[in-house]
Amino acid sequence: MASLSLKQVVKDFGPTRVIHGVDLTVDKGEFTVFVGPSGCGKSTLLRLICGLEDASSGDIEIDGQRVNHLRAADRELAMVFQSYALYPHMTVFQNMAFGLENIGMARAEIERRVNDAAALLRLDTLLQRRPTQLSGGQRQRVAIGRAIVREPKIFLFDEPLSNLDAELRVSMRGEITSLHRRLSATMIYVTHDQVEAMTMADKIVVLRAGRIEQVGSPLHLYNHPANRFVAGFIGSPQMNFIDAQAGDAGTVALPFGGSLTVPHRASTGQAVVLGVRPEHLSLQAAPGALALPLEVSQVEQLGGLSLIYGQLPQGAGRVTVQVAGQVGVQLGERLTVFAQPATCHVFAADEAGLALSA
Amino acid sequence: MKALAFLTRTRGRHRLDWTDWLSYAYLVLGLFLMFGPVLWLTMSSFKTEAALSEFPPRLLPYGQKVVAVPGEEGLKPVFKVKLPDGSVRELPEIRRIGLMATHVDPAKPDEPIRVRLEDREPVREFKLATENYTDLLGKFKFGLYLWNSLFITVVATALTLLFNSMAAFALSKYRFKGRNAVFLLVIGTLMVPPAIVLVPNFLVISELGLLNSLWGVIWPAVATPTGVFLLRQYMLTIPDELLDAARMDHASEWRIYWRIVMPLSAPALAVLAIFSVMWRWNDFLWPLIVLSRSEQFTLQLALNSFQGDLVTQWNYLLAMTVITLLPVTLVFAFLQKYITQGIASAGVK
Repeated sequence: MASLSLKQVVKDFGPTRVIHGVDLTVDKGEFTVFVGPSGCGKSTLLRLICGLEDASSGDIEIDGQRVNHLRAADRELAMVFQSYALYPHMTVFQNMAFGLENIGMARAEIERRVNDAAALLRLDTLLQRRPTQLSGGQRQRVAIGRAIVREPKIFLFDEPLSNLDAELRVSMRGEITSLHRRLSATMIYVTHDQVEAMTMADKIVVLRAGRIEQVGSPLHLYNHPANRFVAGFIGSPQMNFIDAQAGDAGTVALPFGGSLTVPHRASTGQAVVLGVRPEHLSLQAAPGALALPLEVSQVEQLGGLSLIYGQLPQGAGRVTVQVAGQVGVQLGERLTVFAQPATCHVFAADEAGLALSA
Repeated sequence: MKALAFLTRTRGRHRLDWTDWLSYAYLVLGLFLMFGPVLWLTMSSFKTEAALSEFPPRLLPYGQKVVAVPGEEGLKPVFKVKLPDGSVRELPEIRRIGLMATHVDPAKPDEPIRVRLEDREPVREFKLATENYTDLLGKFKFGLYLWNSLFITVVATALTLLFNSMAAFALSKYRFKGRNAVFLLVIGTLMVPPAIVLVPNFLVISELGLLNSLWGVIWPAVATPTGVFLLRQYMLTIPDELLDAARMDHASEWRIYWRIVMPLSAPALAVLAIFSVMWRWNDFLWPLIVLSRSEQFTLQLALNSFQGDLVTQWNYLLAMTVITLLPVTLVFAFLQKYITQGIASAGVK
């Protein structure tokens, strides 16, 4: 168990800068998730931490010790790779023991550790199999087992569930979080799936194009996104964005008429974007609520809940509405949905899209 | 059953179509062309020297029939003899003086029969002249030549695999400046005809004092561009994540090469091993130049030395040719499936 801190870490691949000065602290025993779209640099950041890539500048510290100059093996971290990276010509036992053999550990100790890890991961009966004879979930567990036997300071996971089918992914998600609780180890987990991030993390780090957009607990990110990118990335279905204009005294005016009162810091007349999550829209009118007239373009009935997609008037965009239960809405039907001002977010309309909610 | 049905499949449903006739004729012709010489060689290697120079030649080896005669030493040749009473009998000859030969009936050894040479004919029967092979072992230093050939083949193949795989590992798994240039250079040497490097190679070997040493044959053969290319292409297919995982597992670069990359390259290594065995075993020109003392001769060189300026002992030459062909044939027969597998997966199409 160890803490990690990154200070102004920069990584260049030739002339291309992929990590732009990242500052981050991961506390002891914390489960931190790096999340972001493909190519945002989250895997590169992980490889910088574990030492498979060298940082171009900046400091990487584990337990307060600068480790930039240490080789990957000497940083005492363990990584679970996306493709599992199991050695195909070795048995499960040999796969898990390989790293321990390399540091010259006594045979008895190796066997004890491997057997303990195997019992923990329910791999005891599979120790003499080869990786090709295992199912996807079993391979995943072997890869995790290989990390556990090393008793590392920090566990690193690089999109470990992306090769599994949906059902297995859900159960492995639970296994990894319960593993985290049992080992109370520091873990860093990379994923592009915001559901995994929300369900597993103590702390989420949202990355875009080599920069950290926001760091915080899952609910903090959901309730108080720092900018439009984080707001759009966290939460499913995605938050609705409607172009609008800030009025005075905390009002926001919509292009197709109507306005609502949301406390915000924008100056009067500034172009803003109003953000409202699909699950915060409702078909019931309420006093003071924002009213959005829609023409229904698509309806998805999921049984427990329903998704209604509609077009706003005057081409002001598309809106997704999530309502509980089943609805009798027809295609082409016109209806009005309502949102409480407290659930609405205001963002700047520029590139950065910073949150302006007060 | 299915295989048999496949092999005997014809175009014509019930009787042979003309294309069937044509393809079978073509296949039979091919079989004859390919295996005729090999069959002829093998059969001839069992003929005595006399039978080899016989005209018209026969495919099967024949020799004169011999029998033991009581009271005489050794085996005596049998002739078909026309007796004075007009009957023809097969009798062994016990001695021959001038135009007359003395024959005897083994049942009645006390009654010699004198026969004129024109009244008799040798009796021939199918007989393998295995002495061609057994003589080789004693007469020539066959064991020594075999050892030399084996030593060169095995050691050179092992070294070829080791050095080529190390080069291929570096060229496929490390990113360094000039990597492609080095690789192109290696591939480029494929275009240099071996005859051109013969003299420079000889000078190097001579200066290093390796003339008349088996190592003089082994070292120049160790680095092969074909091997580097074959192995590199295969190693490119090994995922880098495996190497990263091994690095995280405290494996040194040598250990990664030895414990991860080498076992995973086994199919490509098998292909290269087969090639290397064939190259080294069949190699003739380079050993001929480097090895001039008969104690260091390989089988191929010994084979050449049977062919003298004045006398060629064809029976031994043929027997030895068969022996030198055997190992390569066996290697090929048992390992050919790896060749197709390995080549296909090495991306060399």
